[in-house]
Amino acid sequence: MRVKRGTALTILVLLGLCAGGCDRASERPVYRLGLMNCNSEQETLARFRPLARYLSEKLGVELEPVPVDTQDFEEGFARGEYDFTHSNSLLYVILKENHDLRLVAAEKRGAFGSRTAGAIIARRGSGIETLADLKGKRMLFGPQLAPTGYLAQYDLMLAAGLDPERDLAYYAIPSGSFKHEKVIYGVYFGEYDVAAAPALDLELMTREGKVAADDFVVLAQSQIIPYCTFGAHARLDPKLVEKFRAALLALTPEETVEIDGERVGVLKSAWIEGFEQLIDSDYDPIRAMARRVNMPPYQQF
Amino acid sequence: MGDRFDRLMLLGLTLTLGFLALLLLQAPARHDGALRPALARALERDMALQARLALLGRIYGPVEELAAAGAPEQALLKLEELNRQYPGEAHGQILKGEILRRLGALPEAAASFARGVRLDGDYLEERSPLTRRTEIRQLVEEGLATVGERARAHPDNPTFSAQLRELYYLQSRLAGGCE
Repeated sequence: MRVKRGTALTILVLLGLCAGGCDRASERPVYRLGLMNCNSEQETLARFRPLARYLSEKLGVELEPVPVDTQDFEEGFARGEYDFTHSNSLLYVILKENHDLRLVAAEKRGAFGSRTAGAIIARRGSGIETLADLKGKRMLFGPQLAPTGYLAQYDLMLAAGLDPERDLAYYAIPSGSFKHEKVIYGVYFGEYDVAAAPALDLELMTREGKVAADDFVVLAQSQIIPYCTFGAHARLDPKLVEKFRAALLALTPEETVEIDGERVGVLKSAWIEGFEQLIDSDYDPIRAMARRVNMPPYQQF
Repeated sequence: MGDRFDRLMLLGLTLTLGFLALLLLQAPARHDGALRPALARALERDMALQARLALLGRIYGPVEELAAAGAPEQALLKLEELNRQYPGEAHGQILKGEILRRLGALPEAAASFARGVRLDGDYLEERSPLTRRTEIRQLVEEGLATVGERARAHPDNPTFSAQLRELYYLQSRLAGGCE
């Protein structure tokens, strides 16, 4: 009996020591990374868990990825729910203007690197060749807070003297996920006459052979503007933010982490080609567009 | 005996003449033989260049037509399509650089030109039918002014430094520097 008691005591001591050691990992400070959902929470997490793991290792913290609906992002940020953010560039501008979000880095993807553009497209052979032909047509836009799926095209139309609210027969925004692809397919299959297509999605779909370059006519394309962006809450230690930025900029396609027992490429998983350090004034064209289109953060009623 | 000697002399003379004739016949032939490889090489080079130009024209013609018709966005998409078939082709990189520059993406244009020039230095040769020397020089001048200014204003920004490095690389190649 005495032996059994001794063994139990030893086990308890060992367990205590182990718990102490295990706790050391969870003792690391926890930070929350708010991730703007593109299509679904599952997809967002699958994309960014490896990146969050990589950043956690580099920063010596626990970075918890949190998928957030675009429309809920600002409210959540205002409540202090996210320390770091990954969002589209318009949302970055909104959070910067309204909540002093700090710019960290912009992600690179496609021909324009860390920038991209919005295009207005029509099916080739439809007879729609210029923006003037848009009058009375059916148009498909991307989600309302999409800089190159809505804002840029709306701005292009206003600049051409067209009011999307009055001059189109009607316009719609697709529901559910993969909105940008749906917009392009909407014109491809003839459901709509014209569409607000992000240049990046056109490029990717062409590269993947989903559509051909000759399928469409690009009626107009906006100037290039910053793409998806990482930001940091103003309350964070600048040294931590700097480490976060440095870790992003140092990422190469060869970097891997272990996820569920498998080594996965950090950039490849996230659909990102790399990162660039932009400066806040690079986002001024988006600010100018938002003002002209009367959109947040400058919307006036 | 005399007849025999004469016959031997005649045979010797005939053999000597025959040998000389053979030498004379062979001498010009050997001279042609020395020229032929050089000629052939030059011809082969010209033929290869003509074939390459014709092939590039056939493959990338639609891209250049779209760009010339004022549709650079469309040209870029066409190029994307072609890059699936010819991913490592220098001409595609050079065209992409030209289009990106027109669309206002100067650092990306410089990076594309640099990739093209690394693959094929002919694009910097003044006398090459493929030359893009003037375009590259203009891009470098513009880039050093704009990107250079950003880099000077933000000396700790690694992105601007990297963009500047690509421009310096093109500048050195224009000046005749090697890899």
